[in-house]
Amino acid sequence: MLFHTWPFAIFLLVVLPVFFALQKTRLWLPWLTAASYFFYGWWNPYYLLLVAYSTLLDYSLVALMDHCPRAGPTAQKGWRISFHGLDDRLLKAAFVGAVVAALAIMAGAIFGPPTLRPTLIGAEVLMLLMASGALFGSRRIWLLVSVVNNLALLLFFKYAGFLVSNLNALFAQRHLPWTLADPATLMPFGFEYLLPVGISFFTFQSLSYTIDFYFGNVSRERSLLRFATFVCFFPQLMAGPIERARHLLPQFQNFPAFRFQNLTDGASLFLVGLFKKLALANYLSLYVERVYEHPETSSASALVIGTVAFGWQIYFDFSGYTDMARGVARLMGFNLMLNFNNPYLATSLGEFWSRWHISLSSWFRDYVYIPLGGNRLGSWMTYRNLLITFLISGIWHGSKWTFLIWGALHGIGVIVTRELERSAFYRERVPRLLKQVVVFAFVSFTWIFFRAESLPDALVIIRRIPTAGWGVSNIPALMVALVAAVWGYAFLYESRCRDFLKTGFVRVGLAVAMVLYLCLCASGGGAFIYFQF
Amino acid sequence: MVGKTQSNEEPFGATEMRLNARQWLATLGILLAVNFAAPVIWKKAERFDTGPDYRVPYDLSRDYWLYARWTKRVAVPGNVIVLGDSVVWGEYVRPEGTWSSFLNQESDHRLQFINGGVNGLFPLALEGMVRHYGKMPTKQKVLLHCNLLWLTSPEADLSATKEVHFNHSRLVPQFSPRISCYRADTNERISAGIENRSAFLGWINHLQVAYFEQKSIPNWTLADDGGDPPQYRNARRNPLGNTTMTVPAPPADDPLRGPASPRHKPWSTVGVGTTRFDWVSLDSSLQWAALQRAVRLLRARGNDLFVVVGPFNESMLAPENRAPYQTIRNGVGAWLAREDIRHMTPESLPSLLYADASHPLTAGYELLAKRVLADPAFRQWIEKR
Repeated sequence: MLFHTWPFAIFLLVVLPVFFALQKTRLWLPWLTAASYFFYGWWNPYYLLLVAYSTLLDYSLVALMDHCPRAGPTAQKGWRISFHGLDDRLLKAAFVGAVVAALAIMAGAIFGPPTLRPTLIGAEVLMLLMASGALFGSRRIWLLVSVVNNLALLLFFKYAGFLVSNLNALFAQRHLPWTLADPATLMPFGFEYLLPVGISFFTFQSLSYTIDFYFGNVSRERSLLRFATFVCFFPQLMAGPIERARHLLPQFQNFPAFRFQNLTDGASLFLVGLFKKLALANYLSLYVERVYEHPETSSASALVIGTVAFGWQIYFDFSGYTDMARGVARLMGFNLMLNFNNPYLATSLGEFWSRWHISLSSWFRDYVYIPLGGNRLGSWMTYRNLLITFLISGIWHGSKWTFLIWGALHGIGVIVTRELERSAFYRERVPRLLKQVVVFAFVSFTWIFFRAESLPDALVIIRRIPTAGWGVSNIPALMVALVAAVWGYAFLYESRCRDFLKTGFVRVGLAVAMVLYLCLCASGGGAFIYFQF
Repeated sequence: MVGKTQSNEEPFGATEMRLNARQWLATLGILLAVNFAAPVIWKKAERFDTGPDYRVPYDLSRDYWLYARWTKRVAVPGNVIVLGDSVVWGEYVRPEGTWSSFLNQESDHRLQFINGGVNGLFPLALEGMVRHYGKMPTKQKVLLHCNLLWLTSPEADLSATKEVHFNHSRLVPQFSPRISCYRADTNERISAGIENRSAFLGWINHLQVAYFEQKSIPNWTLADDGGDPPQYRNARRNPLGNTTMTVPAPPADDPLRGPASPRHKPWSTVGVGTTRFDWVSLDSSLQWAALQRAVRLLRARGNDLFVVVGPFNESMLAPENRAPYQTIRNGVGAWLAREDIRHMTPESLPSLLYADASHPLTAGYELLAKRVLADPAFRQWIEKR
């Protein structure tokens, strides 16, 4: 169910009034959870099991973690063998449960159908880890279970196909007699092997809760229903923003105070998002698709313009989605974090990443970059940490070599601009506009790897840009005018003209113009790009 | 980095598009005014020339707003609106060779027959067309053509289970009755329902069909020549400049239609066929049920209705295929009689006057007009005030 479709409008028309009608009862939260599950189940009801499983496991793990003693000074020195778990009734029950489940799963793996065996072996490992977590009363093991479980889900659904095909190619090249099974054959009960929409988002969100709890940054959520709503809250379930427990969970404690301004703010955000998606992103995609489908015959100018157009397309697509998600949440009185902040006005790559997909870049900063050591261990270790973080960020986007290269390029770019920023000349003498143009050009160059169908296609594009003919570009004037208008608006917004944009006349004029443009010129449907991640 | 706020209040957004209640009210007011006024003003400002024997041009077949405008203009006492599919419209013939044109030529000119046929229509879509775009005043005389071609197979009847792509899908019932071969997603179905009920959206569709090659404006700017790499012929053109404020007229000399066209020829040189159609029974036919609903709708609106069934090209049928055809033909006639609807079932035309199973050639239309005008029931109907 996409935000810009009629089924969603009907869904919202049902959900919102009931939600407000239930404000004086305790049913508003179950209603929100049910609506979120319905929203996700509309796409594929079977994968609701996945969301429910991820939710239930992380909720239980944090509950079990809460029963374990916090790591004291001695624990810092390493693993200490102690059977805390046997002193606590819940941990004892968890131990017995995990052992019984492990035995049952083992029996299933030995005597059950062979197609289920790999899944059962994975479950067996998880049960054994849980049994040891209960036995030793170790918070660290529970955290490990959560990390392994969430990453295993991601690995299986998102990367298994990529890994298997690459490893099989490697085995064949080395003449080794091994072949790994296609992950689609490992699906239990004949379920279709699909990438569950939003898996990268809800697993990261759920995982952040367990990590935050482990480090004492967030308190335990005792209500399963509230935690389930946090994981599957429908406005941000499919493609974020990836919320943190300390920001979103408290908002589900009580019914949000009804303010009329929430409705007008929500509608404003939604309209801007709708315009970005339908009027801009979908239009640009029509041009980009044709260029990227036939890079070998496109002229250099078409490839350059197509690449720049893709940069705008993905921005309008994803930030449009985010605006709509924030708008829908705001209608109900919930605040989701800002995810985009005019990224193409950034003057350095570091700044770009603090303006682009903010919820993801801050997630990687908090849970990958800082745990690796951040910038605390000297320049070289900082560079290493940056590079690792960006490589992981690249592969998070998809299981293709092109994403890995895209991440690596951004890592290198961040390191280079970080070094340049150290020089007073660069900081003070290089004009701001020039820096913005250079950052935009670099980001646009990296989009080639992000958008190309394959690595050979990306290389063809890069090779052809300086060598193919620079004929007259064939980009529609209307498209250029639209993008220029939006860029000009963003530019004005960051200048002294901001107050002018706040006047009622401008706002009403723009809102009317946007709705009329949408009615007259919207370029049809099309899913959001980030749903594939 | 974007600063973290201590309070729950997040930064609003990357832009200042934040309307308050008063501004939203102003916006909605303006939009509502545009919604109601734009189609009305446009109707007055846009030139729409319709001479004698006018029929909605082939390229504007999907312009339902224009069709509504056209029927509203011609639905006056003294006119008979002839409704139907491409048989009424005249797939192989020029405007002056259509059934309605010959009805005008052969009658005493007290009544004017108007070609209200639409190319590509079929009963399920005709029902939608009548329901949403063919609203005519009470007592308006309507001559409805019933083409039995739509019962020749489950695919033609749209009762097949395999997916079938067809014209005018926006007009067919979207949810009930269920058309199992129609596989549009829920969003498309709801969109169709809303578009059929909104004059404003119908008007926008009119702009796209009449001025932008049946495309949205963005798609029009990217209309290519089919080459590789593609050349976008409208990339530099001003969309406003393309809006000429005159409804495109049908081509003066359509090479695909009329006696001079290579398509305008008898379906067979010998005129005897062996085709075995997989006829769909009236009980299970979706198209027949839709035609029944369209008939009831027209009567419920107080229109003065006459139905002509066929004539189908019976010479095309293999001998053993004639019995099921006759059963259906008789069944249609029996239902119309039971419902007390004036109707006639003309005899099949001479085989060589057909271009295919149901479309007559120019001479076929002429003969059909003569036969219909000679029918006492029809004469009684047109003479009734």
